[in-house]
Amino acid sequence: MIEEFFSYSPYELSQAEKECLLVKELRALTLHHYQNCQPYRGIVDGMGVSIDSISNVADVPFFPVRMFKELDLISIPQEQIFKTTTSSGTTGQKVSRIYADMETAMIQQKVLIKIFGNFLGKKRLPMLVIDSAETVRNRQLFSARGAAIIGLQMIASKQIFALDKEMNLQRDMVCDFLRKHAGQKFLIFGFTFMAWQHFYKELLKMEERFDLSEAFLMTSGGWKKLQSEAVSKEEFKERFEELCGLRHFLDHYGMAEQIGAINAECECGHLHASIYSDVIPRRYKDFCPCEVGEPGILQMVSVLPHSYPGHSLISEDKGVLLGIDDCPCGRKGKYFEVLGRIKQAEIRGCSDTYAAGF
Amino acid sequence: MRQVFENISYLIGSEDILLGMVQTPALPLFSEQAQAFFAALSKKLLANPQTKSYPDLMDYAFWIRAASVKKMSERYPQENRKIGRGVSFHIAPSNVPMAFALSFTAGLLAGNGCVVRLSEKVFPQADLLLETIGIVLADYTGIKPYLCFIRYPHNEEVTAALSAMCDVRIIWGGDQTIQAIRKAPLSPRAVELTFADRYSLAVIDADRYLQMNVEKVAELFYLDTYYIDQNACSSPRLVCWLGENIEQAKVRFWKELSKLVRRDYEFAPIQAVDKLTAFCKAAIHEHVKLQKDDNLIFRLELEQLEPEIMEYKESGGFFFEYTVHSLKELLPMLEKPCQTLCCVGIEPEELRDMIIKGGVRGGDRVVPVGETNKLTLLWDGFDLCETMSRYVDVGKDE
Repeated sequence: MIEEFFSYSPYELSQAEKECLLVKELRALTLHHYQNCQPYRGIVDGMGVSIDSISNVADVPFFPVRMFKELDLISIPQEQIFKTTTSSGTTGQKVSRIYADMETAMIQQKVLIKIFGNFLGKKRLPMLVIDSAETVRNRQLFSARGAAIIGLQMIASKQIFALDKEMNLQRDMVCDFLRKHAGQKFLIFGFTFMAWQHFYKELLKMEERFDLSEAFLMTSGGWKKLQSEAVSKEEFKERFEELCGLRHFLDHYGMAEQIGAINAECECGHLHASIYSDVIPRRYKDFCPCEVGEPGILQMVSVLPHSYPGHSLISEDKGVLLGIDDCPCGRKGKYFEVLGRIKQAEIRGCSDTYAAGF
Repeated sequence: MRQVFENISYLIGSEDILLGMVQTPALPLFSEQAQAFFAALSKKLLANPQTKSYPDLMDYAFWIRAASVKKMSERYPQENRKIGRGVSFHIAPSNVPMAFALSFTAGLLAGNGCVVRLSEKVFPQADLLLETIGIVLADYTGIKPYLCFIRYPHNEEVTAALSAMCDVRIIWGGDQTIQAIRKAPLSPRAVELTFADRYSLAVIDADRYLQMNVEKVAELFYLDTYYIDQNACSSPRLVCWLGENIEQAKVRFWKELSKLVRRDYEFAPIQAVDKLTAFCKAAIHEHVKLQKDDNLIFRLELEQLEPEIMEYKESGGFFFEYTVHSLKELLPMLEKPCQTLCCVGIEPEELRDMIIKGGVRGGDRVVPVGETNKLTLLWDGFDLCETMSRYVDVGKDE
């Protein structure tokens, strides 16, 4: 059960130890969803998978994350739905719906806190959110952006929204906040593109300079849109440091369909899978797992999804394992890099829908 | 009219040619002018090394060779008894790059002026063909008044105007496209051909297959499927097995095909995910068993044979598979959307007779393996030139 995972810190187990724990839980989840989600059962039966014979993490059957856009996949009775998260989609694109019961929602929160705690420490810190309060207003139907912000409430002592409804920087309020916390430890969170467009570019315009040398800039949502503006991840960091001394960056990668079990980027710039999840790049020609250093389509497993069969999904992202158990930052398990989307995939991703409007 | 047509961009032809087309004299069926034009177009295409990069354009260039067109013409009345209906309006599909070529070729050979609306999607082989047509037209000015290749953004007024002025309308596209375009009325005498979404299947006699040259069969089946990304309506999606040694034949068949696919097919990573998605959708709604060694060939074994399974079809090497005990068991699949039957070790005539005897609504073509995508003037059960031209009857029973 998931409780066993909570007795370890998120990156303490070696890959071998972690897989022992993961495979047991993933096998149990596969059986749970098989018994409680009719469509999932059809897929597993069609693949001819025998759940008993799952002996490695790589044996766990997976299906495309896109399926959540095709139909409702849910493993709990309707009346137990506690919240529904939708993934972003531009006009005409289908939206995916993820259903969580109270238990899944709480586990998602708890794991998120544990993972970020590993980087930020236990103390809750004030957080400047580079988004509008409107984004989280409708609690019945969270967008992935909204869900991410709400999820982060738990690690923040308070959240201040930097943008108004029209996505303009609320300059006076933000300046007050930055002045007050200058040189201190606090959090800034935004989707990559928004942090650049609505925060960096605005700060650049101001005459006043702020000391953000102790602040953590947390980002997610991918680098694709910024790359099309010719801003690489490296340049993003350099420019921020140059402008306001910012040097703590905490990017993360995760799917809306696997909320909670995020992959956070360490000080060395590597994304790490925690004990709650794992990443398996697969060869497109046969879906065999790739070696370290060999790019493939990313399969993500997570032990969190209990209310919907999202514990083993293949994404439309390309990525590569950089190493196992040997990142200089000291965190154990696999670490990897995301290389972008595989070609012709429908544009999706959290902040990218918003970015597509620019 | 001119105002409505402002939205049109002309790849070949002009507004004057388009507006004048209602008065342009119709040509006789298989007119000398048209035949000479296609002969020159064929030569020009075949002389261009670029053409070789596009197998479908190569096929087309061969198909319109002088000798080939001559042969096509022999199926029709030799004397001067048929003439074009007037203006043909072709709405080309966005999935098969060269369908518009077949469409206008039949239209012009039948004696019509051709207004061809191309899809917004750009295909390099289509561009190359248009460019070559433009060059050839400089020498064959007599054909100029008969051709307009156009694009226009979604616009009901333009479609309505072109529909009102044409004598034949040819729509290639999905059911929705056809429904939408049909809202635009035709003139009372006009006829219409529609080429809707279809599916096709292969029928294999396992025992006879095992006695055939299996490498050759694989090559031909590859032409029917992977060669065009299994994207045409005529590409088999379902493989039905018949006979005694089915298991043995299956192993051999897919193994031989796999060798070619691995060697020749350009497989994109997204196709792996697309095919897995299609399998999942099918598995959720129907009883299927996935058989695959790699992602190049997806085979979904069916528990029962129902036309509904085709809702889950996918291209790029995605097959349903089923075993029948007699050919009669195929009849339920031969519904309206069923187009081509591809035969291995079975005489096409046998299946044709079954279709006619069975009185079913589908199955327009029964051809040997390797010929499903062959260009032909008989399409979807229509004789294109026959339908696009009219008889001038002199009252004698000829």
